[in-house]
Amino acid sequence: MSSIGTGYDLSASQFSPDGRVFQVEYAVKAVENSGTAVALRGKDGVVFAVEKLVVSKLYESGANKRIFNVDRHIGMAISGLLADARQILDIAKEECKDYRSNYGSDIPTKYLSERVAMYMHAYTLYSAVRPYGCAILLGSYNPDDGPQLHMIEPSGDAFGYYGYAVGKAKQNAKTEIEKLKLQDLDCRQLLKEAAKIIYQVHDEVKDKDFELELSWVCAETKGRHEFVPKEIFEEVQKHAKASLEQSDSEEEM
Amino acid sequence: MSRGSSAGFDRLITIFSPEGRLYQVEYAFKAINQGGFTSVGVRGKDSVVVVTQRKVPDKLLDPATMTHLFKITSNIGCVMTGMSPDSKSQVQRARYEASNWKYKYGYEIPIDVLCRRIADINQIYTQNAEMRPLGCSMMLIGIDHENGPQLLKTDPAGYYSGYKAISAGAKQLEANNFLEKKVKKDCNLTFVETVDLAISCLSTVMSADFKSTEIEVGVVTVDNPEFRVLAESDIDVHLTRIAEKD
Repeated sequence: MSSIGTGYDLSASQFSPDGRVFQVEYAVKAVENSGTAVALRGKDGVVFAVEKLVVSKLYESGANKRIFNVDRHIGMAISGLLADARQILDIAKEECKDYRSNYGSDIPTKYLSERVAMYMHAYTLYSAVRPYGCAILLGSYNPDDGPQLHMIEPSGDAFGYYGYAVGKAKQNAKTEIEKLKLQDLDCRQLLKEAAKIIYQVHDEVKDKDFELELSWVCAETKGRHEFVPKEIFEEVQKHAKASLEQSDSEEEM
Repeated sequence: MSRGSSAGFDRLITIFSPEGRLYQVEYAFKAINQGGFTSVGVRGKDSVVVVTQRKVPDKLLDPATMTHLFKITSNIGCVMTGMSPDSKSQVQRARYEASNWKYKYGYEIPIDVLCRRIADINQIYTQNAEMRPLGCSMMLIGIDHENGPQLLKTDPAGYYSGYKAISAGAKQLEANNFLEKKVKKDCNLTFVETVDLAISCLSTVMSADFKSTEIEVGVVTVDNPEFRVLAESDIDVHLTRIAEKD
């Protein structure tokens, strides 16, 4: 039973002798090479925090965003190959537009996540194309269904979550998330926790520079997905950096 | 694992091996067992029941979004075993086929016609080089107007058949042996007996005493042909009864 593909991993339309599709598994690895993205679902909303690794000092701040708006009420955070993810974003926007045109209302997140997942899954069936190398986090809030968070993997697997992390420090971030009692936290608290996790799991040695991207969709934003306003962002960032120094000094003691 | 005679003949779906086997199709069957799940279906006198495990792999996962029981039409349901995205894709296709039939012919698709259609589509994937077979097995249940309670299973090879009782997944051999001993030639099981048999089959082969949150049960009955998933409280009633019998 070989865990290296050798020969069975050249196209997505091939099974290995133990019934695995290696191309899909490799696509999942591609996601793990990019910066961490964390999403938390709380009492009254969903929060996204992304560790955007800055590879060059020549970039403008705010360039190469990794959080997007799919329609007014749904936010999407991406991890993995960004160019692939932008294609998925376009598809998701199309789905929202078609739903609104057919039914006259906002697309439910569960429905969008299923449609996008089926689309990504289709690319895992043919030898003529390769699977998408990106993981998608979708979040929304409305007073009827409450906060919703869905994650879609390159394989087309899609499930709802209370909180999740994708990317480089996925395991560490998930451990931190599991410590939180997410159902009791409101959006402001979620923002602080999410930013703290990003600062905590960021690897200072390997990747020097990073920008924090924060966005939320909650009762406070009246169900609209938005980037966090400047004052709140700076406050949250300060809090996250402070708690990081605090835990560092605790370790030194 | 001996790979002697498969060398080279197992890369493409369109190549037969010298013994006349299609290795890629056989590998697709192995993919069904990857998740480690087992599902069991049992047909009674006036009801059909499917049971599958419910393992939530991640504490952060919302359990309400993870299910292997799906409604194809209001009166036909299914349990999917195997790769999760492939399963969802096949369910979508089945729903489309059922709706299309209703649209074209004006009446609900009979369950065996639907199963045959899905099986035929699976067969195409085993002959077309550009697409791989789906790594999942679909077990359909429903009450047919003419033939009564029906349990049908289709697999990646494109084979399908009706069954009195059948299982799919990692422990299907043991489960099928168990079912063969318990199901007699003319199965006149009542609804309660059918559910009990399906659940006890699963717990025997998995060597586990299930809690009501660890299994999912889908049923159709002649009295109420709508496919429905049992609530946890109902599952508890059955589990207690099985425990008391032992």
